[in-house]
This record gives sequence, structure tokens and C-alpha cells, in this order.
Amino acid sequence: MTTVFEDFARGQKQGSGPTLAAALTPIASADYPSRLYTFYRFSNAARVSSDLRYSLFQANGVKLPKQEQNAWIDIFAAYWKAVSQIVLFDLSPSEASWAKVFDAWKDLTNVLIRGYSNGGLQAWTVPCLYTVGKYLRTFGIRADAELASLGPVAFGNRFQDDIAAEFEKNAKLEEAARVINRMFTLCLSDRHVPHEPDFQLMSMLTGRVRAPIEESRKWGVYNMTNLLFKTYFKLNSVGLSKNLLRALSASAVDLPELEAFPKAHIVTFKYYVGVIHFLDEKYSEAEEHLADAWRMCHKNATKNRELILTYLVPCHLVTTHTLPNKKLLAQFPRLEKLFGPLCSCVRKGDLVGFDTAMAAGEEEFVKRRIYLPLERGRDIALRNLFRKVFIAGGFEEVKDGQPPIRRTRVPVAEFAAALRIGIHAAEKSRVDIDEVECLLSNLIYKGLMKGYIARERGMIVLSKGGTAFPGTGI
Amino acid sequence: MSSSVPPWRATASATTTASPYNGHAAPAYIPVQARRSLAHPVSATPAPAPAAAPPSADASTRKRVEWPAPLRSYVQRSFAPDNQAASVAREEMETRLKSVITDAAEKDMLDKIDWDSLPLPQVMIQNDRNRILASPSVSSWGASKATFSRKSDNSEEVSKKRKSAEYQDDASSCPPWRQTNKNFEDRITYSPTDKRQRMDHKNPSKSKANLEMRRKRFEDSRARYGSSPSSRGESPVPTANQGPVVGRCQELEKNYFRLTSAPNPDTVRPLSVLVKTLDLLKKKWKRDNNYGYICDQFKSLRQDLTVQHIRNEFTVSVYEIHARIALEKGDLGEYNQCQTQLRALYAQQLGGHPTEFKAYRILYFIHTRNWTAMNDALADLTAADKREPAVKHALDVRSALALGNYHRFFQLYLDTPNMGAYLMDMFVDRERLSALAAICKAYKPDVKIRFITEELGFESDEQSAHFILDHTSEGLLLEKDGAVRLLTGGKAGQLFEAAKADAHRVVDIKGQI
Amino acid sequence: MSNPTQPQDKTEPTQQPQQQKPPVLEEDDEFEDFPVEDWSQEETEQAANGTNSHLWEESWDDDDAAEDFSKQLKEELKKVEASH
Repeated sequence: MTTVFEDFARGQKQGSGPTLAAALTPIASADYPSRLYTFYRFSNAARVSSDLRYSLFQANGVKLPKQEQNAWIDIFAAYWKAVSQIVLFDLSPSEASWAKVFDAWKDLTNVLIRGYSNGGLQAWTVPCLYTVGKYLRTFGIRADAELASLGPVAFGNRFQDDIAAEFEKNAKLEEAARVINRMFTLCLSDRHVPHEPDFQLMSMLTGRVRAPIEESRKWGVYNMTNLLFKTYFKLNSVGLSKNLLRALSASAVDLPELEAFPKAHIVTFKYYVGVIHFLDEKYSEAEEHLADAWRMCHKNATKNRELILTYLVPCHLVTTHTLPNKKLLAQFPRLEKLFGPLCSCVRKGDLVGFDTAMAAGEEEFVKRRIYLPLERGRDIALRNLFRKVFIAGGFEEVKDGQPPIRRTRVPVAEFAAALRIGIHAAEKSRVDIDEVECLLSNLIYKGLMKGYIARERGMIVLSKGGTAFPGTGI
Repeated sequence: MSSSVPPWRATASATTTASPYNGHAAPAYIPVQARRSLAHPVSATPAPAPAAAPPSADASTRKRVEWPAPLRSYVQRSFAPDNQAASVAREEMETRLKSVITDAAEKDMLDKIDWDSLPLPQVMIQNDRNRILASPSVSSWGASKATFSRKSDNSEEVSKKRKSAEYQDDASSCPPWRQTNKNFEDRITYSPTDKRQRMDHKNPSKSKANLEMRRKRFEDSRARYGSSPSSRGESPVPTANQGPVVGRCQELEKNYFRLTSAPNPDTVRPLSVLVKTLDLLKKKWKRDNNYGYICDQFKSLRQDLTVQHIRNEFTVSVYEIHARIALEKGDLGEYNQCQTQLRALYAQQLGGHPTEFKAYRILYFIHTRNWTAMNDALADLTAADKREPAVKHALDVRSALALGNYHRFFQLYLDTPNMGAYLMDMFVDRERLSALAAICKAYKPDVKIRFITEELGFESDEQSAHFILDHTSEGLLLEKDGAVRLLTGGKAGQLFEAAKADAHRVVDIKGQI
Repeated sequence: MSNPTQPQDKTEPTQQPQQQKPPVLEEDDEFEDFPVEDWSQEETEQAANGTNSHLWEESWDDDDAAEDFSKQLKEELKKVEASH
């Protein structure tokens, strides 16, 4: 249970960015519910600056250069104004508005940015940017929801030839994105280039790489990137995330190695980059990043591990045609529900079951944007079904002393019969042999089966030597 | 202040708050609770109530007038800036409002009228105007004065695709007051540019029959589009605010110029004129088929609607018609602009033909291979949409391609509703190459050309042979046992693979809009 | 205020359909901030649960059902042959 001033003083004295940033959090903690209210009551609009000068500095014994001190007073004055909007929700709900909170918080954001660009704020305080940016986003989302509940939104840009397509329903969040982008630039373009850590020496001494000594706001760059990713995803503008990646790679030489950043930053970054590739259908790249995020993720971060797997599982299905282990799914009830039925149908080669499971999960799959890769699981289901035909075909007559060889020439009609089983065909319905051939030709083309179709003989000639269904042991 | 560790390390070493992870005694993962941390859930509600007393007096309990509350709110809404209609003057609105209230008071209806659902006075005025506008003596946007003679029925040339012009007089795009007038213009079904006319007729295959089916289906489909879920009762109601432009221009035609400053009302046409403009443009399109002119005129029409904030069923029909014309002419850029606007307009439930265009949208994203947008398009669909034949068809096309099921894909291609075939034509060749690459890898030693023709939706063996020769340099065709055959195998596969990659590359460039 | 991220549609009895909203990852589907910035190698998923291999199913064999399938296949094959 700490006050705003205690957090500020401790953060300053210890040089702890996160503690300092906690002073700017617009939420009261569970153990100190009146934290914001107390802060709001400590002053009034007319006196806030001088009150802050006393409470932040003189009373706490915190000493900073004058310019820096003034910057913090301005920042906390803006924070006080924003807090006075927030406490309205309790004091006078009819006057409270998320739009006003957002505007006040945005003012705070601008004052803070100014503090860094010309107010002499030190680089170690950079977690403040993240905290303030993070709540700007939150308030933007709430303000948009509030505006949407007030009815139809105004027409926007009047010099357009066409009606604005999105009707500005995310106006505040878009505003937030632009501000957070400035914060990102503020971190990325900091002139203080951190020294590259002496990796070898440090690794030898400590067993792990230590970060460089000199400070720079560049240490905040991945955190801000992650916040922007989150915001762009919410805005459904994933394309903008790619611009961000380009900006990052353009200044890669000036940045410390990704590995030198805290794991929280790396894992989040890897997760989003993985999902961005995923949405682009670049599944191998996606898998690489997601697998990194998975390996490095904290073992107890259940929700985040679950989210990583939400994308890693479909990736893996596409790239290596394999399913998640049952034990893995069992750890995550939500994933079990999401993928379980689908996986069991793929395993059994139950096409109807697969289609049903896809239809049943469609809304959820589409929402999570995993529908399209999961759909490809049907090929694997089909492969497993046809694989059973091959197994059911048994072995050629064994010559003395020779190892048994499977029957590799299989009539197309047998695959047609298997398809009837897979699609639960009605008694009288007819299977289109051309379609069966098409399905076979696809599996062969995709490398899921090895062999060829001899159309005029109505035969499939499968490859010998345990490679007819590559990767499945036969 | 520690300067020997990077800023983010300072937490671990300096802060006194125990990290939920690093606490050596109990390493259990307890997210926040104990600590007001950066990780406080984003959705948490700020500032639980402090102990302070809440504001007491409820100011709204004071009573002043005895008007019923819904009426008071009705009056408020009438004056709300957001509800002002550009085309209705303030005095006009006030006069109407007074008369509505007086009327109600006189009839002792003040407490009985459902003020919440009664149209605002400005809306009433606009509706009245529209009724006048739509009276038979004035041409309107659902217009149907037949001025062209019927194309002779025995014309041999019959288009396989539904043309944009066919849609323009659909009953559903016609306002209710016009619907009694059945004197629609006849559809023009002949297009000298239809490439299918040039196709070979000598060697009909099963796809030929399918094409005939498709044509018939286009004709039948008119009926399906007769009912649209629009709220047509309340015709054009411009939702206006922050002072949109009120046009004064009476010219029907106007060239398109990009706006660089606020539009001049003298050059903007009001809705009543635009309605006539659309009418004129439809006629000119049928008569002259001059796309350059039509596209330019439609763009200026759209611009006039936008600057006047007119967003209603008429707006929808303008975009739909422009979209269909652009589709027919293969102008994907313009089509895509219309499609984007239509998506937003449909979201507002203004009428029109949402499922027809949702289907196009899916086909369009197949063509541009924009999977992110495809995911959005799928998310837009309701369960009811998915049962609509056009949407169902587009979804089936998508899934056939996703699974490489060319057999199913080409069956669907030959059975495409509405104008979807114009879109599918843009990617069939690409899919034919994909299918040929697969076939060459899967079949040995060869396949009859007839098989290719039938599997890949070609018109004739000759056409498929041409297609193969056009895309491969080597002699892959040979005659054996009285049949032309495609020599399959690795070499042929590689050639088609290269051609396929080329075809996809072209789309990747075009797809970036 | 309890749930302000949800648009309050109550005042708007219009038929604005839910699914017209662009599909965005919901708030509760978002990647969470970690409660701490950094942690040791021992606390990572990899250290806790070993390498990647335990994640994925290794075998496709389903021996129990093989016999049944064989029988079913013969039944269906008769139907295929009868119809061609």
C-alpha cells in the first residue's frame, strides 16, 4: 500500500523505472482502494503545481536538476487532472465520461513525451512511457465504446469522394495509436546509443549475457512496439505492424541484441511477430517465432502460453502435418475444446466429423483467425483415411526369407469405398470417381502420398519401401 | 540510482515489492493482487469507490412542465444538431414540429402517440418531398421508362453471364411507390465483347451443357433478388450533421474532379437531381457502353452524395450499379472501392443486395489472395447469409481451392450465380495451371485431353490443347490410339509449375491496391 | 461502468447486427503483460517441460480400429462397384 508520492520518491531514489512508472498508474490497488481519491483530494486545480513541488520533491527529499524537476511537476499536474476525471465515475457518475478521461490522459501523454524530448528526463525512467501509453490505449477503447453507445457517428473527412468506410468508430483508439507511435519513435531514435554488451566476457562471468552499462531509451523500444502491435490488432490494421517491423529492422544496427532485453519484452514481441507472419500465411516463419516465444515464456504464464499455442498448433499442422499431443491439450481446457474434436477426427480420418467440427468451431476459429490453416487439416484427415486403405490391403505373397512387402497397387475403387466411409455416404449415393482421383492427385502433389495414378487401369501404384505415406511409418 | 545495470534490471535488484515469479519461497504464479504492478489487468475498473459520500440531490426530479417525457425527448431530438437535415430549414422544421404537437394536443393524443418511434419533423418533411419526387410525372431513380426496343429473341448471341445492365431495374432497387409499374426496360443480353462468343463450338463437351445451365440460372436468379431486407418504408433520409453541403446544381451530368477544398454548392447536385442523373447514366450505359464516360460520371455522382452526407438506399444502389459495371468491365480498382463502401453501407442496414455483394467479395479476395481480408469477409457472414445460394457458392469455391479440389472447383465455376463469373474468369486460368501441375505430378504416363477438358472446365478439347500449348514451350501433346494425350510426368510438371508461379506473380502485383 | 468496453446498445434498438463489427481479438484474448520483466532460464517453459518433442503426436497408428475398417471397406467396395 503506497501513495503516488511514495512510489515517485522510491522510484527516484532507487533509480527503478517500474516503481516510478507505478506512480503514474491510473488504478488503485486492491490493498489501497482510495489511492487515486486521496491523490485527487490532496490539491485543487489552482494550487496543484505548487503542491506537487512540495510533495514530490521538498517533502520527499528528492533532488533533481531544475529542468527535470519542472518536467515531473508538469507531468504529475497533468496526471492529477486526468485522475480528477477518473474519480468522477465514483463521485458524480452523471458527469463522468471516458472521452474526457481519454482527452485528459492524452494531455498527460503529450506532457510526458515533451519531458523526454526536451525536459531532460532520464532514460531509465522509460517504463513511464509504457505505463502511460498502455492506459491511453485502454481509455481509447473505452471512449470509443462510450461514443458508439451514444448513437450514429458523424461523417468524417469531408473532402473524400466516398463515405468513410469505417465511420470512425475507433476514432479515439486511432488517436491513441498515433500517440503511442510517437513514443515508439522517441525510444527508437534516442541518440544515446547503448554500448553493445561484451557478450563473451559477460557470459563467462555470469553465465548469461548482461545488458550494456550506458543508458538509452532504446531499452523501451520493444515494449513500445508490443504496445503498438496490440493496438493495431485491436484496430484490425495488422498491416501497420509490418511498417513497424520495417522501422525496427532499419535501425537494427543501433539497437542492442534482442536477447539482451528482458524476457517479458522478447516473448511478447516474438508472439506478435509470429502472429503477423501467421496472418500472412507464412507458416514456417510464424512457427519459428512462436516456438521461440513458447520456449522462453514463463512456465507459469498460463494465459500467454495458451495464446502462443493457439497459433503454434495450426502452424505445426500446416508445416509438419502433425497434431498436438493429447497430454499437451489436456493442460489447457480452452485449447482442448478448441482443437480436441478436430484433432480426433483428423487422426481417425473421419471427414464428416472433421467438417462438423470445423462448422461448430467456425465462429471461434474465424475470430481467432485460425480457420484457414485449420481447414488444411482436412488433407491430413484424408491422408489418414487413405492410409488405412493401404494398411487394409495387407501384404504381397511372401517369398521365402524375404521381408513382407505391402501391396502397392491399389484400385481407385478401394479409395472410393474409403471415401464413402469417411463422408458417411448414404446407401444409394454414388461416389464420383473423377473426384476421388482428384483427391488422390492432390495428396500426391502435396507429398502426403507417394506414387502415381494409372488412370486407364484404374489403379494407384504406391511407392515401395515404407515411403507410400511419408512420415507415417509406412 | 544504479547506473551499472540497464534500466529494466533495476526492478529485480532494487524494488522491494516481491516479484511473484522470483520469490524463492513460493514460486507459484500469482499474477497481480499483492502488487500494483504494470501488469494490472487492462480491463480492471479504475478507482474503486473511496469512502467519500456520493453526490446527494437528484437534480432531475424537479418537475417543470406537464408534457409527457417522451414528447419532451422528441422535441429535444428534433433540435439536436446531429439530427438536422441539410435540406430542411430550421423554420420549416419548427413549423412542422408545432403542427405535429398542436395536432396531437387537439386530438388528445399527447399521451398516446409513440413519440419514440415517430419520425422527426425534418424526416417527415423529407419523406413528403420524396413522395412528390416519386410521383409518376417526375423521373425517379427507380425509373423505368422504356425507351429501347426489345432485342430480338432469336438472336444467336446469348451472353453466358449476367450483365450489369440486367440488374438496374430489379424490383428491389425500386422504391415502393414505383413497384406497381411493371414496365421495366428489357434486359440487354448481347455483348460484342463477350469472349465466350469466340469460343469453339465444334466440339461440345459436358461443360457446354453446364454453360447453358449457367445462363438459365442467371435468368432465374432475378426472382431471388426480388426481395431484399431493406427498410424501404422510410426512403431517403439523409443523416446529416455538422453542416453538409446543400447542392444547388441542376445539371444532370458532371465531370469528376478530385476535391481539394470545400465543395461549392453551385456545382453540387441535390438528391432530386442525382436521382435523375442515375437514371440517365443507366440509359447511356445500355445505349453507348462507354465505360470511360460512365465511370467518370459515377465518381462525380458518388462525390456529390458524400459531400451532402446522403447515405440511404439510393446511395447503396449507386454503389451497387457502379460496382456491377466495373465488374463487367474488369475494372477491379473501381470495383474494390465500391465494394469497400458497400460493406460499410450494408452494415447500416440500408437495403440493397448484401448477399450478392458478400459473395463477390469472397471471390474477389480469392482472386487477390488476400487472406487477412478473407478472414474478415468470413467473419461478416451471418448464418442466414451462408444459406444464400450466391454466398454458399462463393464459400464452396473458396474451400475447394483451399483444399486443391480442382474437380469441385471447376464444377462450381460452371455454375456461378449472378456476375460472379466475371470475377472467377480472372483466376480460372491460374487455377487451371495449378491443377495441371498437380495432374502432371500424379498421373502416369499420360492422360487423354478429353479428361483435361472435362476436369478443368474448358469449352472444347481444342481450347484445352491451346491452353496447354500457350503455357508450355515443349511438345507435351501427342496422339496415341486415336486420342490426343497430355504427356504427364516431372518435366511437364515443372513447366506448369513455372507457368503457375508466373500467373500468381501477376496477381501479387495487381493485388496490392 | 462495470463493463465499459462493451458498446451499450440498449439505447439503440436498431437492428445493427453483431457480426458487422470487424473481427478483432477481444480484450480477454490479448497477450497479457507479464507480472515481472525478466526471469531466469530455469523458469522458462523449455526448462520446465523439456524440448519441443513432447508437444506433438508421434504416431498415426490406430491398431484397434484396423480390423473393423477392413470389414467396412469391403462392404463399401461392393457398393462402389455396383454403381459403376
